[in-house]
Amino acid sequence: MPDTTAPSQHSAAARAERRRLRSLDTRRSVVWGEKIAGGVITVGGLMVIFAVLGIMLFLFRVVMPLMDGGEMLGDVRYQLDTEQDVIWVNGDEFQTLGIAVAAEGRAITYHVPTGTEIARTELDFGGAEVTAVSGTLSRDQVAFGFDDGTVRFAELGFSTATTARRNLPEGLARLDDRDRMGDGRVFTEVGTGDFRTLSSVVELGEAEAISEHAIIAVDYRVGGTRERPTLAFATVDATNQVRVSRSRVQVNMMTNEQTITTTTSELPSLDLAPGVSVTGILLSGTGDRAIVSTDDGFVHRYDLRNMDAPQLAESRRVGDEGVAVTAMTFLSGEESLVVGSEDGSINVYFRLQTGTRETTDRRELVRARTHAQMPAAIVDLSEAQRQKEFVAVDAEGNVWVFHSTSDQVLFELARSGDVTTDSTAMIFPRSNGVMLVSQGGEIEAWQYVQRHPEVTLRVLFGRIWYEGYAQPTFVWQSTAGTDLAEPKYSLVPLIFGTMKAAFYAMLFAVPIALGAAIYTSEFVDRRVRATVKPMMEMMESLPTVVLGFIAALVLAPLVEEWIGAVLVGFFALPMGLMLGAFLWQMLPVQTALKLDGFPKFILMGASILVTAQIAIWLGPLFEAALFHGDFKQWTTGRIGTGTPFMFLILLPLSYLIVAWSFRKTVGHHYRALLGDRDRAAAGRLDALRWLVMLAAAMVLSYAFAATLTALGYDPRGGFIDSYQQRNALVVGFIMAFAVIPNIYTLAEDALNAVPGHLRAASLACGATPWQTALWVVVPTAASGIFSAVMMGMGRAVGETMIVVMAAGNTPIMEWNIFSGLRTLSANIAIELPEAVKDGTNYRVLFLAALTLFIMTFVINTAAELVRQRFRKRAFQL
Amino acid sequence: MSTSSEHDIPASGGAGLAGVAARESVAGGRRVRRFSADISAVGEPGLWALGGALALGIILIAGFLGVVAWNGVTTFWPKPIERVELRDGDVLAGVARRSGTYRVGQDVLLRLDDAQRAEIEANLGFADRTLYQTANYDLYGDDFRWVSDFEVANVTQPADFHYFERQTWGVFIGRVAGLTIDGTERAFDPALMQREQAAARQRFNEIRRLEQRDIGRINHQIERERLAQRRATLRQGEEAAAPAVAESQARIADLQAEFQVLQARVNEIRERDRRYRVQLEEVGGRTIDTELSQIVRYFAANQLSLFEKIRIYFSRWWEFVSAEPREANTQGGVLPAIFGTVAMTMLMVIFVAPFGVITALYLREYAKQGRLTSIVRISVNNLAGVPSIVYGVFGLGFFAYTMGGTIDQLFYPEALPNPTFGKGGILWASLTLALLTVPVVIVASEEALAAVPRSMREGSLACGASKWQTIRYVVLPKALPGIMTGMILAMARGAGEVAPLMLVGVVKLAPALPIDGFFPFIHLDRSFMHLGFHIFDVGFQSRNSEAGKPMVFVTTLLLLALIVAMNATAIIIRNRLKRRYATGQF
Repeated sequence: MPDTTAPSQHSAAARAERRRLRSLDTRRSVVWGEKIAGGVITVGGLMVIFAVLGIMLFLFRVVMPLMDGGEMLGDVRYQLDTEQDVIWVNGDEFQTLGIAVAAEGRAITYHVPTGTEIARTELDFGGAEVTAVSGTLSRDQVAFGFDDGTVRFAELGFSTATTARRNLPEGLARLDDRDRMGDGRVFTEVGTGDFRTLSSVVELGEAEAISEHAIIAVDYRVGGTRERPTLAFATVDATNQVRVSRSRVQVNMMTNEQTITTTTSELPSLDLAPGVSVTGILLSGTGDRAIVSTDDGFVHRYDLRNMDAPQLAESRRVGDEGVAVTAMTFLSGEESLVVGSEDGSINVYFRLQTGTRETTDRRELVRARTHAQMPAAIVDLSEAQRQKEFVAVDAEGNVWVFHSTSDQVLFELARSGDVTTDSTAMIFPRSNGVMLVSQGGEIEAWQYVQRHPEVTLRVLFGRIWYEGYAQPTFVWQSTAGTDLAEPKYSLVPLIFGTMKAAFYAMLFAVPIALGAAIYTSEFVDRRVRATVKPMMEMMESLPTVVLGFIAALVLAPLVEEWIGAVLVGFFALPMGLMLGAFLWQMLPVQTALKLDGFPKFILMGASILVTAQIAIWLGPLFEAALFHGDFKQWTTGRIGTGTPFMFLILLPLSYLIVAWSFRKTVGHHYRALLGDRDRAAAGRLDALRWLVMLAAAMVLSYAFAATLTALGYDPRGGFIDSYQQRNALVVGFIMAFAVIPNIYTLAEDALNAVPGHLRAASLACGATPWQTALWVVVPTAASGIFSAVMMGMGRAVGETMIVVMAAGNTPIMEWNIFSGLRTLSANIAIELPEAVKDGTNYRVLFLAALTLFIMTFVINTAAELVRQRFRKRAFQL
Repeated sequence: MSTSSEHDIPASGGAGLAGVAARESVAGGRRVRRFSADISAVGEPGLWALGGALALGIILIAGFLGVVAWNGVTTFWPKPIERVELRDGDVLAGVARRSGTYRVGQDVLLRLDDAQRAEIEANLGFADRTLYQTANYDLYGDDFRWVSDFEVANVTQPADFHYFERQTWGVFIGRVAGLTIDGTERAFDPALMQREQAAARQRFNEIRRLEQRDIGRINHQIERERLAQRRATLRQGEEAAAPAVAESQARIADLQAEFQVLQARVNEIRERDRRYRVQLEEVGGRTIDTELSQIVRYFAANQLSLFEKIRIYFSRWWEFVSAEPREANTQGGVLPAIFGTVAMTMLMVIFVAPFGVITALYLREYAKQGRLTSIVRISVNNLAGVPSIVYGVFGLGFFAYTMGGTIDQLFYPEALPNPTFGKGGILWASLTLALLTVPVVIVASEEALAAVPRSMREGSLACGASKWQTIRYVVLPKALPGIMTGMILAMARGAGEVAPLMLVGVVKLAPALPIDGFFPFIHLDRSFMHLGFHIFDVGFQSRNSEAGKPMVFVTTLLLLALIVAMNATAIIIRNRLKRRYATGQF
């Protein structure tokens, strides 16, 4: 190479030659353009795959944290300067301050993360020894019971204020990165330059004498308003006498002086066996019930609704024989009673209205859940303030945090040092930490985050026994009426609603769409088809909000008013068409030929309109004849029997049976009979046959229905029940409207793709067009038709606006065609705009979207695979 | 069939038909019909069932469109006011809206006299009733009242009853009791009232113009200054930004002074406006006293000539398409909704066009047909099949919260914690809908590309053009009409979708349009109104769905007309193309 090229570099001719050759080369810009275009288009094309996967992955990413457990952020342990054991502890919602009260009356306010003492108050118990202590749910109102039979109340709370940076006092001591302290207060910077100031409020009330004996158990509740609080407390003394006291506090507006009036009533005796002693007492906030636990394994429930005549409503053994109940608490809301026993078992009881005669108030405690068993006897149970959570401590010092509704152990808190026994624990108000005090003034505090403790797979898809329900059920109720009721996140009613709506939609859509598609493809000439098909396609893009509006505001009231006519219509329309067909058969050949095609089609339409009008006339008569004049009344099940409706439902089936048996027995002879006559006569005979068969079917159907009724079956309560204006019938009908064009277009395409030579061959062999369509075209296109139906189903499953507007949106689970429903899609549309970002409801709604996505993904992929295969096969034919 | 073949000259009707059909099959091409041996082989009942299904479908569509069109078209036609005296002495005045049959309840039956009861019983317990729009919501607490036929004693159409459309409180039906012009009381004089009402409306519009345009501009500028201050403080620190902040503070003071001047002018006009009043009296004699400017339109419904009716009809239509809504969206116009729908759809097309065309190009021109294209096709079909609400969820979570949240942190930290892009807005809505409608564009573009004859491509390649050049200069221009069809179909689909929009930025009443006179003119972060959502909102979330119904029907008609027009255009273009390419082989 070098020797040939080297000399030519110098020759001008060679240079010109090289220039010429280069100009023949493709210009660089074209080459690069080509490469860029190829790259961009390939990447762009594959973007579709990424889009689908991306949507799915994104939804997954939002949903996944639902399944995450919590995360421990750390724990601290320190010793407080107390002389005796700590008997009560409270912490604020920011996990900044804690107050611990020791048995000698010393109340220490300390900084939770470091254990630094902030303030100290000596409470004067007047020399009495504390024998029982209890507090309200928020833990800032506490009652102490003493060995001299007195009770004292105390406030052990926190006060919060905001201080601007420029108002911050001088000379604050630094506690940690976040907090500073000074003169009994803790200052925390909260981002915007302001400081949150926290201090403790410690006050002790006067002693009130309740009993002559030592108080062994106490419970304390504060109700009423802040201005006029009502205090209620229950005590048990050493003689096992249970007392309930109510104090009314009246504040004099002028002098700001408080007057407390206390009334105490003694409750009926527990009649305990000798040697059995009380281990605890609980009082409900409304003061209508008190629960006492004993060491022989019983809980006793007092009915206090009538304070003048308190009753011992029931005594129920909650554990094995002789296993003591060692701890009890209500979960927030006071519907669930958590009972911990000597053997480490923890059970949750609901008080349910079962109508039992064994208790005095027809209610009883029913065991709703059994939580994971702890290794040793439960010594303390303490509930969270805002969730259905509690922390349990056992005799070996294990500290477990439970979520009751979702039945899971959220944390098994690890102790950082030696385990000292007999501890009590509390959950911080925001359910993000636990503080444990061991006897002797040792404090251990854990901080954790738990994202969505109330949701597990079982909550989402299984039956859960919620408070206030008689048994485990599927419930969707994401926003509750009160703060104390918990949200209920079962997706099952929504999936059920989706299925129900899709089912009824398909029930209407499939026959109409497929019938229309077959007729358009096989029996209509080109010109009609060219106008009908675009019309149907245009219907496909009708906004569903319009359909929904028509459904809810026009159709629903109309159907409600004319329900009788609608029912008649379901039977009258097919019968009208059949009547038309048999009349047509009676026409002379020439007339039939002349009118074939478009006029015949017009006649079909006319027969529908005429029967619709007849149905409207007959509606009230029909209702009067079969349903005692009022169908809606009938559906409630209060009047009449199920026979008339079953008669109608079974009519098509009976007709099929009659037709089938006719065909099997005399079909051959009958056909021979027809063949011998001219067309008009054969038509008359055939019409006669039809009428006879119809009559036979009616008789048969009535016989079936009567038999079913005699056997005790009544459709009411099943797929027929009381009528609501916005119901599955209306939704199904209008949704069918949205789905029909879809199915129709795809099915018609599939039928059209069947090669013409198959038809030609069939017709050439002497088959009629009807026979060709039925036995050649439709079977060939079956997979395509199936795929069309699937696609329609996919659309029905995801349809939103129609359901939002016309379905009533009640998440109930019944097949009743006259009741409302709530679908996944409608639920998302209704609730997502209000859901807090990254909250539990937000994520559960994303899960609903993901479920919907997966449902339609499966349906569509299956349909598309079938369709691709059908295309390939149709191409090969 | 076997029976007929045994006869030489078949006597049966079916065979007769077969003879005719045989002749037709020669002439008629591949579809041979009416070929039958006996009557059951023709399958007449089956045919009627299939045909009935098609007929039913068409009847349903026609009925549906008919209901919407009839209700929509007649809504704005002025109807007479009827004064109805009931048998119990009650009197009401109203416009008959619709009538229907209902089942009379037991408790009502007990209160009726024997003749009425007999009449109802003869009708199987049903009775007819009419819904009257009695209006006067501020007096009655309700707009509508059902009146059963058996209750009615006498119906008249008094000439002096007027129909007043008011700015607030909806419609008033009654007569004019008196006028107050510039503080002095005057008797009712139609010419005077007409003149003064027109003048009062002008004052009203003047106030509105001042408030919305001039004061709105000042508010906008003040807000911008505030944000600029915060931005400066955030970027440069408090001390460094101090001079800039002080400067901006001075500008705000100027603006506020300007604001005071304008506000004073508004107050002055308003003060003057309060002296022009009208006293309206309802049928029962109670009166209300209101500013003349509150009356948008009024007419003596029972004295209208045909010409006047037509004038009112079209003036209402004009208000509908050119004005803003009033009275909780149940009256007035839908201009912001039309604007929002169109703007969102246009924006969507900008996003969807390149993506759709590129994918179609990939499928048709670049990819080897095989497993990968099959997966792409399944993906396209899945995109088409995914419920629209899922796109809404994705749009909210990904576009608005994730992407928008990031944009806010990077570019709009001064407005935080108020989100700028980190919430639903027209940009995210149109992106979401672009994702939703991309399959429509892909399928249509693919069809269009497939319709370009192979010979044209080969010719171009043979002349030395590269593949991209062939596509760019030969294939795409040829396929453009088909691609446009896809776009139009996508727009039709996008304009009609509501469910995803509910999650990504549609609102019942947008305070400002997404496009206005303030820099940068197009505000992609703003919420917007939408015709489809308007239907949902007025029909289902207003205080009285009956009051909103006429509005819903008209809006529905408008939306349907929009979508049907778009679809029809697309279908016509497509059919024309099909015809062109069917014969247009080179």
